[in-house]
Amino acid sequence: MQNAKDSFYMALRTRLASINPERTVLLRGTVRPAILLEEAEAPFSQLPSDVFVLRWLGLGFDAESGLTLDAMECEILYQTCGTQSFGGLDRGRALSAMDKELVALLEPCNTPKLNYTVQPPTALLSQVFWDEPAFSPTTVQRDRLGRSVKIMVYSYQEQGE
Amino acid sequence: MMTVNWFRAPAPVARRVRAYFAPVNRVTQTPARFDPAAQGDFALDSPPTPWVDLGWIQSFTRKSTSKTAPLLTGIPAAPLDQVRETLEAHVSFEFFSWTKLTMALATGSQHMNLLTGGAVEAQQGSTASLVQLGTGDENNFAAGSMIAVDADYSGQTGFVGAPISGAYVRQPIADQDYIRRVTFNVGLVASVNSTSLTLATPLPGGAPASNAKIQAIAGFVDREGGSFYQEWSGLFVVEGTQSERIFFHYPRLQSAVGAEEVSSPLDTKHSTGLARTLLKSKFMALPVTDPMDGERVLCYRSFLPAPNALI
Repeated sequence: MQNAKDSFYMALRTRLASINPERTVLLRGTVRPAILLEEAEAPFSQLPSDVFVLRWLGLGFDAESGLTLDAMECEILYQTCGTQSFGGLDRGRALSAMDKELVALLEPCNTPKLNYTVQPPTALLSQVFWDEPAFSPTTVQRDRLGRSVKIMVYSYQEQGE
Repeated sequence: MMTVNWFRAPAPVARRVRAYFAPVNRVTQTPARFDPAAQGDFALDSPPTPWVDLGWIQSFTRKSTSKTAPLLTGIPAAPLDQVRETLEAHVSFEFFSWTKLTMALATGSQHMNLLTGGAVEAQQGSTASLVQLGTGDENNFAAGSMIAVDADYSGQTGFVGAPISGAYVRQPIADQDYIRRVTFNVGLVASVNSTSLTLATPLPGGAPASNAKIQAIAGFVDREGGSFYQEWSGLFVVEGTQSERIFFHYPRLQSAVGAEEVSSPLDTKHSTGLARTLLKSKFMALPVTDPMDGERVLCYRSFLPAPNALI
């Protein structure tokens, strides 16, 4: 399960770096693609703007096929105040840009499963895959527009996992 | 410790089905071949020749209606063996897009182009994507025009339209434009200059023949009735999440019902609101003789397992 979560996050991070190299965040002194795993960072008092934040929610298993299928619900949160140069009046456009980027990040809807606990990461045998995203309505918090997107991520448990 | 390099094969999980069609040579009754062993790993956006990508489809259903019966013997009678009495299968699905080809496939009879204006000759040097014009002919076309490219009708009977048969003429008719009316060799003009038309996508029939003419079209029309049946080879691909692939290859599919549409609401919670109008199609599979062993068959189901999955 952890391999699937890591692989999903790393796939999205690699795709973001390719789709929009300009979307970066400075974190712990390092500039990196602006997509974070909430549980792997220090707690936030407020979610950072213009960054995709992944949060793992529900979990389920299906062992009926003789091969256990893990089902993990992932929520991706993002928000924006727009840009300073437009005084934040472009925050709607900025949110639309993030919506579009997220749709692109999720296609294709599968990625090879890798074990990231070793260096270099080793490829496992199966693929992690996910269903279509469910977009929530836009939330408005003062000058901040945000959205949450939920995705069911699936992975088959391999021997030794 | 021994490294395990396989996993148990789960049931394929897929979201959609992709459809490809290829013309059957109606004169020689030759369907399009598909060899999954040699061609099965093609990129879904660029199928092997002569298959035409018709995109994702929905509500794909295939059904065998072949009948078998027991061969009885003894008193009281008991099955000794079984025999196949009839061979029959149907395929149905809905197309997401309306194009010349999807509309033609989803109609029970011939499919025609709505011709506008007169025809002009396609000049030497034309290709599937660039049609050369005679002096002054560029005034008949503009960027965004649709065109049909094929020969004049000259009184012949039998299958007409090259290389895809668009109709069967039983007796000579008085319409010089008839072949361009039924041809599948249509395209969208991307740009025009004084000597040529550049097309947005290549003509399905390839470079125009030496006697071909170009005629503008406004759209398409089909009819309920008539005696012509569309016949195409069909290939349907299900790609699973583990990169496994299922292929359903029907060498000969004929339209089995008349033109029919289905309404699909954009918002399922608001069924009376905006809705897509989808082309609904249903086909009957016709048999071919498998050259491998001479058996008559309707379709082939092939499976390329996921990498590393047990078989």
